[in-house]
Amino acid sequence: MTTRTEFLGGLRREMAKTRGLFEARAAERPPDADEAFEAVKRQMAERWPQALERFRVEFERVAGVFHRVARREDVPGVIRAIAAEKGARRVLSWHPEALGLDLRQSLGGEGLSVTLAPEGEADGEMRRVHREEAAQAEIGVTGVDWALAETGTLILVSGRGRPRSTSLLPATHVAVFDRHQLLESLEQVGTMLEALHADPSRRMSGAMINFITGPSRTADIELTLTRGVHGPKEVHAIFVEGR
Amino acid sequence: MSDTQLRTPFPQRAHAALGDAHLQEALTIATTKFIGLRKESFAGYPAGEALRDRARAIKEATLQQLDRHLERLADNVERLGGHVHWAATGDEARDIILRLCRDKGVRMAVKSKSMATEEIELNDALAAAGVKPVETDLGEYIIQLAHEKPSHIIAPAIHKTKGQVADLFSKELGGRFEADPEVLTAVARKELRQKFLEADMGITGANFAVAETGTIVLVTNEGNGRMVTSLPRIHVAVMGMEKVIPTMTDLMVFLSILARSATGQKLSSYTTLVRGPRQPGEVEGPEELHLILMDNGRMRQIAGTLREALYCLRCGACLNVCPVYRQIGGHAYGYTYPGPIGILLTAMLEGTAAVKDLAHASSLCGACKDVCPVRIDIPRMLVELREQVDRERIAPWSERMVFGLARRVMASPALFRLGARLGRLAQRPFVRNGRLRRLPLFFGQWTRTRDLPPVAARTFSERWKDLERP
Repeated sequence: MTTRTEFLGGLRREMAKTRGLFEARAAERPPDADEAFEAVKRQMAERWPQALERFRVEFERVAGVFHRVARREDVPGVIRAIAAEKGARRVLSWHPEALGLDLRQSLGGEGLSVTLAPEGEADGEMRRVHREEAAQAEIGVTGVDWALAETGTLILVSGRGRPRSTSLLPATHVAVFDRHQLLESLEQVGTMLEALHADPSRRMSGAMINFITGPSRTADIELTLTRGVHGPKEVHAIFVEGR
Repeated sequence: MSDTQLRTPFPQRAHAALGDAHLQEALTIATTKFIGLRKESFAGYPAGEALRDRARAIKEATLQQLDRHLERLADNVERLGGHVHWAATGDEARDIILRLCRDKGVRMAVKSKSMATEEIELNDALAAAGVKPVETDLGEYIIQLAHEKPSHIIAPAIHKTKGQVADLFSKELGGRFEADPEVLTAVARKELRQKFLEADMGITGANFAVAETGTIVLVTNEGNGRMVTSLPRIHVAVMGMEKVIPTMTDLMVFLSILARSATGQKLSSYTTLVRGPRQPGEVEGPEELHLILMDNGRMRQIAGTLREALYCLRCGACLNVCPVYRQIGGHAYGYTYPGPIGILLTAMLEGTAAVKDLAHASSLCGACKDVCPVRIDIPRMLVELREQVDRERIAPWSERMVFGLARRVMASPALFRLGARLGRLAQRPFVRNGRLRRLPLFFGQWTRTRDLPPVAARTFSERWKDLERP
């Protein structure tokens, strides 16, 4: 078996033969991740209305369904309507702590069964149960860490109370966000990710970040566009105007 | 590619592909569509051209410090609780995975689309070791059931009709399925969903790996990449060592041009950033993460003629525009990587001798270089490969003799004039309607598929001499 030392040693021998190549540099990065992070925050505090409109246009272009509600309390009503339209009964949601909304209280007991993702440390048995529930759920409700206007993309960071499969296994994914998550460009996403990694305590506890741009799709059979091949067939985004 | 297919020389494989009317039609439709989507996407993205330049500069800058970036990547992956393996060859990469399967009692592995695992023919090795490999990208799943190889880097089953897929599914999965992509996709969803939940191991490639954060990046449309990195208890990522990039800022540059080049999307449906195995507090995710960093012929090109091919993002754009690929499709190339970039990668992995014919399977029109998101100068390297094939006496003697003769004749005005005169005499019996349509001996290989203009009654230099000059 090749060891790290052998591998890198071999590489350095090859690299030594290439002196005098043209100068090339990696992309420019903000010198101070935190400062850049705050600058983006300030920009977006002003520019979010334009970003929201662009997000809506791009999100609908990739077959997303956009909703807009005045208050967080109006969200369950939208989910109820989506469930009714799909004839869906089983809803899986991020933990209220992560979502900012307890769907069990607001949706349970209306013919809908609502499962909440566990919040804290999960043992093997809890993981097994959660996996079964996730596989059975018809609607998955999540929050959003960033909503990227340029491409209509929802960016979700996994972690405590926010499982990665809530936006993957159910046939319908519903994401809830507000103005604070809006970003305009991939470049800004880069700034946020730099800051996030510079200070992991800021928000990232889990191991996965997903950029979700519309429903799961394939064109592998005769280039015919088909949705929902492995992940959701439908993606809904609910924008909450107020608190 | 099976041995029997490789024993068939490239010209014969290409000839067979040219005679396959269905393949011709499928290729035309697919490549034309991809070209249109890409063009439209970049037309509406004025920043795209500058981003391509930046992406190219990042790739070159990374290669110039590749050892440091790989160390950094490995340190960070390990810090997050992952394991890093170093593989000098494809055999070694395979052995690492097989040993993991044995040690961890793995019986089934689900895979998301990965050219690196195609390159090392991992599926055969897994099956031989009693581990069931299941391809989960719909296109890859189809060709796995059909026991074939991918014919396009990003659309592996473009050579199959929906009727063929329906027949295949009916035979392999039991049942009678309609030849409707919607129906067939639903069948695959149901079949594969179960596999995702049952499998012990998820195997992926890596589109990128970010050194500074230890992040493995997967770009997919179907969501299978997310499944295989979320559900099985072990995740193994196999990655060519050149895929590392320095930072998240760099990653954004690549993401903004990758999907646009491949499918014309602004972003693919899913971009998945994996940072270590399941972290404390997470209810899902693998217990173990293994990253295999693979050389397999890449390292010697750091200082070799094919260095620039190490920039490749595997987007497939150069396949779609290549007049040769558009005619013969991916299988005729005979190796894992088809198309113009595929010829270079084949030379990298298998040695120059493997491409003695393939190096000529290009008109050097330059379309591949124009569409490459990182502007790889593919034609230049193809010419260098041709030169190498000749210099290292890999080419057949007849070819070398013809080119050797041509070189001598072209280099001497006297010989050139004599050649024109002799040619005019010699060609007489073969000129029909002002064209040379069939030549004897091995010259006939040229005229078998194309005409040759005859030597003119009066050559340019003869007319030049007679021209009046002030």
